[in-house]
Amino acid sequence: MKGLWKIANWEITRNLTNKQFIIGLLLTPVLMGLFAGVPILLDRLNQPSLSTYYVVDHLGELASLQALLPENIALKEHQDSGSIADVVRDTNSSGYFTLDQSFITTGQIDVVYNDRSMETLSTVKGSLTALLQQIRLAHSDISLEQLAFVNAPAQVREVALDEELEPQTMHMIVAMVFTVLVFFLILTSGTMLMQSALQEKRDRMAEVVLSSVRSVQLMQGKILGHFLLGLMQLIFWIAIGLPIARYFWDFSIMEALAAVDVPVILFFGLGGYLLYSALFVGLGATMEDLQSASNSQSLVIMLPALSFLFLGPVISNPDGTIAVFASIFPFTSPAIMMLRSGLTVVPLWQTLGSAALLLLTAWVIILLASKIFRIGMLMYGKNASFKEVVKWIHYKES
Amino acid sequence: MDGLQVQGIRKVYGSTAVVDNVSFEAPQGRILGVLGPNGAGKTTIIRMIMGITAPDQGDIYFTDNSVKTKGVPFSTIGYLPEERGLYKEAKVMSILLFLSGLKDVPKAQAKERAMLWLRKFELEDYAYKKVEQLSKGMAQKVQFIASILHEPKFIVLDEPFSGLDPVSQDIFKEEIRALANSGATVLLSSHQMNIVEALCDEIFLIHKGKEVVKGNLESIKERYGSFRVDLLSSAPKEAVLETHMVESVEQLAEERYRYTLKDGIKPLDFVQALPSGLDVRDLTITRPSLHDIFVNVAQGGASYEGSLEDRQLGNYA
Repeated sequence: MKGLWKIANWEITRNLTNKQFIIGLLLTPVLMGLFAGVPILLDRLNQPSLSTYYVVDHLGELASLQALLPENIALKEHQDSGSIADVVRDTNSSGYFTLDQSFITTGQIDVVYNDRSMETLSTVKGSLTALLQQIRLAHSDISLEQLAFVNAPAQVREVALDEELEPQTMHMIVAMVFTVLVFFLILTSGTMLMQSALQEKRDRMAEVVLSSVRSVQLMQGKILGHFLLGLMQLIFWIAIGLPIARYFWDFSIMEALAAVDVPVILFFGLGGYLLYSALFVGLGATMEDLQSASNSQSLVIMLPALSFLFLGPVISNPDGTIAVFASIFPFTSPAIMMLRSGLTVVPLWQTLGSAALLLLTAWVIILLASKIFRIGMLMYGKNASFKEVVKWIHYKES
Repeated sequence: MDGLQVQGIRKVYGSTAVVDNVSFEAPQGRILGVLGPNGAGKTTIIRMIMGITAPDQGDIYFTDNSVKTKGVPFSTIGYLPEERGLYKEAKVMSILLFLSGLKDVPKAQAKERAMLWLRKFELEDYAYKKVEQLSKGMAQKVQFIASILHEPKFIVLDEPFSGLDPVSQDIFKEEIRALANSGATVLLSSHQMNIVEALCDEIFLIHKGKEVVKGNLESIKERYGSFRVDLLSSAPKEAVLETHMVESVEQLAEERYRYTLKDGIKPLDFVQALPSGLDVRDLTITRPSLHDIFVNVAQGGASYEGSLEDRQLGNYA
């Protein structure tokens, strides 16, 4: 046990005194903020620019049409249909069209464009349709009120059968934030563990350390050390994030904690960490360097990304078959179960079954990883092939 | 006997026995040289002694102060592996403290000893520098310090001299000898035969996982190294061969021949048996060096092994 803590302690101090780690610790919230903020910012910056259409108006409906258009699309009247094309070209305007009697009777109109902005064109199209309806309506007996009544869309209200099924925004947001945060930590810790094993091999330190502690202790010490490191990161980020979140949104810590299913997050967060940390530390022991990872090794590295594939389908249908599968399949269940627990009420059998399967899988992976680690850490100069790794697993315990 | 005892260890990887029925002893206070060509199984033997891997068969015992334990306790081991390095981004002192901490040395004591050793190797200015700032030789000295800082009773040094300049080699040799004299059991593996010859008390030679030669260095030379006589003479070699004491003969120059004596023939007997009136202008008697024995084993492995076996069975005078 002593050796275990010493290894864990070494991993922690080594990282805490490492510039890269500190930079990562500080930069991650900034990056996350950027990822969340930049799309919003870009969206704001991407305000449609002003476009101008020239119109030959034989109907006197220019003002009505302008009223139907958003502010950024301006209409300018032009008398001479012969020179209109040149004017559009010279002023670099968006296009032109002619409003005449045949538009009212046939509904056909040519919009000649100079600027092929799909968005502007479809807005113009929509407004022309509305104008056509208005004009035709004015010629018929139906009143505007009647038309509005006919065209009104159905107003659907979504009511859950049981009150507890009703999604609460707070639940959803907090669950999603936690899912992303915990999973991000599992991923970074996993990668760091892989690097740590790999580096110990590359620095040729494994053998010296293994003359002082058993390989199982070395592996467990690493896993424990990076778990505590991850926890520190999580606490640090929450300590920074909470005041910021409270500043922007009306937010109470107690309410947020009450909103999440704490046992589920704890269990699946921990289980997911165990599973992936063992997987990655074992993987690191089979590698000489990251660049020359074999196909099977790359596949293992990609495994956590599976969860992200399921995010969309699970959010859109948290009780669907895909969601149920992904929340039970042990390589995706940690993230997906946390997410589902915030989106819907997960049946107890699913939670328990998934938890049991996760524990079992983590246990098997830890066993395999320690066998791989034992041999792999002492192998130098090349990445182990899949066949070799299978052979190691079959070696007798020493 | 205090020290290390290895009894019939065997390790099989897949279908090949990397180490096959190997036994030897390393008495306390002495330096045992473990020799063998690349891939002979030295590292595997060392790892089994360290407890890093376990033998499929056989036992390893370590006795200290007449207390015998199965396997060598981790805290008594000092290990300098052949494949070595240091955490590049860490500071010299923190690595030394971490590694001696794993061996349960109290921090204050470890720090004191570390400074002492660093001073000995003129590295005290680098104690708080990162390993990346060290030269290769410096790093090797730090690794050496790391392996002995906890005052181990059992020290394994795998190629400790590779990459060292002659001055540093001498310092290492002195320190290794001093460690043995202070009561440690030292196991030394090296390809530098001259150093092994100068430093080791006992030799264990292994080839293809099997032990070939072992024992006291002098007695090995006595047993396996037939005398060689280089003779510069105008007399024909047939005249010398008539003594029936010569195993083989090799012409070195026009009138210079090297006679390898048969086993058990003493040089003085040979010289006395030489025909009287032989014109001898130069005569040297030598024993094959450890280097020769090693090369013989590494190259002509099988045949040499065979003849050695005969000798061990007592088929010599």
